[in-house]
Amino acid sequence: MKKVISMLIVLTMLATLFVGCSSKKSETPASSENGTDATPTTVQSADATESPTDVASTASGDVTIWYYWETEGHQKALNQLVQEYNDSQSNIKVEAKYVPFADFKKQLSIGASANELPDLIIQDNPDTASYAQMGIFADLTGKFDVSTYYPGPVNSCTLDGKLYGVPFGSNDLLLYYNKDMLDKAGCKVPTTWDELLETAKKCTTDTVSGFAHSSVQNEEGTFNFLTWVWSAGATAYDINSEGGIKALTMVKNLVDSGAMTKEAINWTQGDTMNQFISGNLAMMINGTWQVPTMREQAPDLNWGVAAIPMDKQQASGLGGENYSVISGGNEAAAIEFMKYATQKEQCLFMMNAMGYISSDSTIAKDQFSGDDVYQAFVDEMQYANARGPLAEWPEVSDAISLAFNEVMTDASSPEDAAAKAQTTIDGIVK
Amino acid sequence: MKGIKKYFKYDNVGILFALPAFIYMIVFVGYPIFYNFVLSFQDVTVKTLRSNVKDFVGFDNYIHLFTRDNVLTTSLWNTLFFTVVCIIFQFIVGFALALFFNRKFKFAKPVRGLLLLPWMIPMTVTGLIFKFMFSTDVGLINFILRSLGIIHHNIGWLTSTSTAMPAVIFANFWIGIPFNMILIATGLTTIPKELYESAAIDGANKFQTFRKITLPLLKPTMESVLILGFIYTFKVYDLVYVMTNGGPVNSTQLLSTYSYKLSFVMFKYSEGAAVANILFVILFIVSLIYLKFVYTEGEE
Repeated sequence: MKKVISMLIVLTMLATLFVGCSSKKSETPASSENGTDATPTTVQSADATESPTDVASTASGDVTIWYYWETEGHQKALNQLVQEYNDSQSNIKVEAKYVPFADFKKQLSIGASANELPDLIIQDNPDTASYAQMGIFADLTGKFDVSTYYPGPVNSCTLDGKLYGVPFGSNDLLLYYNKDMLDKAGCKVPTTWDELLETAKKCTTDTVSGFAHSSVQNEEGTFNFLTWVWSAGATAYDINSEGGIKALTMVKNLVDSGAMTKEAINWTQGDTMNQFISGNLAMMINGTWQVPTMREQAPDLNWGVAAIPMDKQQASGLGGENYSVISGGNEAAAIEFMKYATQKEQCLFMMNAMGYISSDSTIAKDQFSGDDVYQAFVDEMQYANARGPLAEWPEVSDAISLAFNEVMTDASSPEDAAAKAQTTIDGIVK
Repeated sequence: MKGIKKYFKYDNVGILFALPAFIYMIVFVGYPIFYNFVLSFQDVTVKTLRSNVKDFVGFDNYIHLFTRDNVLTTSLWNTLFFTVVCIIFQFIVGFALALFFNRKFKFAKPVRGLLLLPWMIPMTVTGLIFKFMFSTDVGLINFILRSLGIIHHNIGWLTSTSTAMPAVIFANFWIGIPFNMILIATGLTTIPKELYESAAIDGANKFQTFRKITLPLLKPTMESVLILGFIYTFKVYDLVYVMTNGGPVNSTQLLSTYSYKLSFVMFKYSEGAAVANILFVILFIVSLIYLKFVYTEGEE
């Protein structure tokens, strides 16, 4: 008997190991806390037929959206869009739920195996292929017209010739520079790698670091680092090439000379922006979406944007989100909402609130006329490279981010890091 | 009828009382463990998550993990190192504090209560606080060390492969002190005062009483504290996730963070499950050793 009891005790102790796993299954993502979307969850009653607005569409019911934007302004904008849509008709009731970015992949994986998914998600574009491979997305080929959209974003939604999403909006990366700091150091805006290294060194003081970009060991870091690789003429899949090694060496030189702070390996893109507007950084690589926040929080800061200094060719990274409809959910209604949200007026509202560039070329064309900063980002779009689409992109990305982290922390030489990353990547992409 | 009556005699009735809890354990603890083992022998990735047929691949996942790269062995050693170092320091400091607060002096109780604070703060919050304190340029720890003239240049605690682990260990050490202190303090109160009194009459000094009375009588408590501490520390996840996320370059990668990363960042669910199982098996062995201790003591 004593043995049995003891075994139970041991099991209990071990149980704590797995409690985390099991309890999270029941955890549903928290409703956004803005309080604006106090929508009742009851299903729309059948009197929808009385509605005069609805003639063509037969779609009805509830639509739940998952998204991961943490910025309050972004959440408010989406909630407002949803509210306006709900008010404009009575058949479809849309509700947007915030799931933190760090939990987003986990929630979708768990949801996919437990069949508890939303109807529509707005997700990071390099992940779209993975999720599509998981089989959770509805095939939108022929159901949504993307002919006017930029090819890069559309590619990120496409897998095996089928369309699994609609680009929500795009962004790309540019070099942000602090005009006053560059003037003080007597430097012009750098355009090549050598100039960047020189300028960054000159701008570095006791309290100011010359240059940084987010270098965390995850997708964010990879996104920023790859601009060097592309500029040197290599691709994400051949890191162990002249260009790939050159890119790693460039980052090493920046860090070793003290021109780029090593601390950047713990900085997200948001952290990097905060360091920049706090005056701790003279230059940084960052994305379109930081512009609204920077203008609001640091109206007196004298900054500008320019093309990322280049080696062989001009290059930037393409970021952004895609809408995707979950297969087996309320597909028809989700597509209806998507069609509403991608109309010019609604799209512009979201893009401007978020600092994104519309993926629809007809809308993007004159989206930012007169705004030099945004116009620079729109112009850069033609040099922006997409990541993937590849179901195993997260693994490739991990290998790349490990490589530049190894180089930045002096754990290995650029050549060794590149060779190691290449072995991993070759094992994934055959 | 007679048989049933006999069956429910005395301690056998206990089984009935334990049954609800036992069933609960089977369903909510046993099943996930079982499922996790099954998962680790299948090939479940992003492509096969939703398909009904999942390939059985035997020990392939485990073999891959050990042969593909050295991340698993690194995280295995990291976890062991992290655990052992944390436990040693936590235990020594916790023991010292317990002895200290066992003496009667003014404010002993409120101060002891305050020392429980680290145990009550959520791990993620502690992680964030320490992340700020260990920050290179604006961190409190570099500031103090610089002000005292111990260092002249800021140390990149969390950005260097050699200092990230000590920094994380320090944070976890701070969290674990109260746990050790309280359990040992409780153990101390169970030692009869008469023993110390008679020892004093016999002319034993402080050191002798500690070695001959306190330590032997505290042995069961100390074993429990060490084993429980080992289990708690071995599976630490949130603190490391927040402070370094396993980086830089896997220098703080633990089995727990690696398992999470495989499953939910890289979508290799089966490999993630395999790492979790390695973690489980190690803790299971430790628990068996603990039971062995308990038995031999009971028989003596």
